[in-house]
Amino acid sequence: MPLVFSFVFPFLLIIALLQGGTGLLGRDLSGWRPTLILVLISAFIAVTPVGGLPLARWMMSFNANFSVSLTAILFCKVLESSFGVKLLDKNALLTCWVFSLTAGVILYPMALGLGRFDPYQAGWGFSWLFVVVCGVTILLLIMKNRFAIVLIAAILAYNLRLLESTNLWDYLVDPFMVLVSCIALSSRLLRKLRNRA
Amino acid sequence: MNRRLVIILTLATLLLYAWPMSGWLSTLGREPATFATYVPSIPVVDDKPFMVEEFINPDPGKGMVHVGSICQLPDGKLITAWYGGTREGAKDVAIFFAIKDPGHLTRWSKPKRVVDRISASRELYRYIKKVGNPIIFAGSGDHLYLIYVTISAGGWSGSSLNVKASSDAGATWNNSRRLTLSPFFNISELVRNKPVPLSSGGFAVPIYHECLGYFPEILWIQSGREDGAIAFRKSRMTGGQSFIQPSVVAYGPSLATAFYRCRSDEKAVGVAVTKDAGLSWSEPQTVNLPNPDSAVDAIHLSDHRILLAFNDSVQNRENLRLAVSNDRGANWIRIATLESTQGKKYSYPYMIRSQDGLIHLVYTWHRKRIKHVVFNEAWINAQMKRIAN
Repeated sequence: MPLVFSFVFPFLLIIALLQGGTGLLGRDLSGWRPTLILVLISAFIAVTPVGGLPLARWMMSFNANFSVSLTAILFCKVLESSFGVKLLDKNALLTCWVFSLTAGVILYPMALGLGRFDPYQAGWGFSWLFVVVCGVTILLLIMKNRFAIVLIAAILAYNLRLLESTNLWDYLVDPFMVLVSCIALSSRLLRKLRNRA
Repeated sequence: MNRRLVIILTLATLLLYAWPMSGWLSTLGREPATFATYVPSIPVVDDKPFMVEEFINPDPGKGMVHVGSICQLPDGKLITAWYGGTREGAKDVAIFFAIKDPGHLTRWSKPKRVVDRISASRELYRYIKKVGNPIIFAGSGDHLYLIYVTISAGGWSGSSLNVKASSDAGATWNNSRRLTLSPFFNISELVRNKPVPLSSGGFAVPIYHECLGYFPEILWIQSGREDGAIAFRKSRMTGGQSFIQPSVVAYGPSLATAFYRCRSDEKAVGVAVTKDAGLSWSEPQTVNLPNPDSAVDAIHLSDHRILLAFNDSVQNRENLRLAVSNDRGANWIRIATLESTQGKKYSYPYMIRSQDGLIHLVYTWHRKRIKHVVFNEAWINAQMKRIAN
């Protein structure tokens, strides 16, 4: 199962890059037919062997656990570009950036050796982390925030062991997700400051 | 989202979290795993002093070998594993193992290749730049486990750990499995020291992290399946930048001492203790033995003394000595010099006790050979008497 799922992120990334590239050239690839062609091309590129390994597995060689959150964001982006469907509204995206950045700030410095406490340890079996994420998910559902669906997808993927990792943290956040969140929140802040000026 | 959908999704959320919680609830009544300490029942102290030395691998010529480990199967066979190639980190580096049938007169088998970067790449289905540090240890029956390092990019700080298992004493091996142990690209996790068996049938494997921080950790693994598949988790022994490569000596179900390689300017062997079977460890202290930023290994003797193999220098690895502690590592008596030659390097000692009570030490001999030294406790006592006189 993790092996099959490992092709999903690279596949979505290739579609998104092709959509972005053609968008820059002024071509609109929305709609069923162009999307179907893009899907076929992306699937072909993802499984094309380069030096004995499919292109997707080269990407996974350097980061095997792209989080479910990042995969979901990418899926929503592809869906929006293809059919104009917005699964995650602005509010949900903002929650996603804040959640991921907070998780990254808590997780990475300590996991890389800052102090004796390692929060990553909490992801290997039922612990305070599960209680916190479950609480956040229910709170977001009550607030009708669609980011809750991404968190539900993350725990579902964890239970199904869709990633190579068996640690819940890896389903919630990854270094690229934190980087994307940083960029998104910074640009949002800059935009606000510029508007105020 | 309408109200009905919110209710359905809330119930789904609770159900999805109930699954991992049920696993946790089922463990609540169980005794936590403790160390399964092994103290030989035979009267090893009354034996005659005994000590033999031999090389395990043939001379690799211009090549190198490093990081030997050793274990024993229930039928008495000894197995060692190490890595070798043209140079450390070279693309041709492979992990080898050799077998020795029971008895002092038998020879080590010709080294067999277990895994190299090509086979690791095929088994793990990803790009592997190089392989390194292996440890080999025995499970129940003919089960063998090999934990080894692979690197896809960068140097040793780009290391990830993988496990391979054999259910027929190394005749055939299962495909490697990657262990995800770090949230940051799963890098900077290495292994070097021998595992401690647990009462649950699992193992506490001392590992270490080296990237921005350098610190010791424990990899807890549990296997009960025929295919050698394992469940695992990791815990931290301490943080910081100073201590790595823990050698754990258990002397009771919950009690153990860890000895650390020291990277700091203190240049002395580090030590920490646990009283809760490795769940928490004391702050590391240094003891009155030097350490030139090199690996040490310790083993528990039958009369509660601890034997340590170490480089007795703050500068280099030109000697390899043995020391004994009567007080669980606080004070040490140097009992023997196994190697001492200027310009040579002796490193990465790894000790086990075999079923007959003998102590087997393997180490890297000038990066050219893996040396095997066998001795008994009577030999240790004879060395102590010689020192006392």
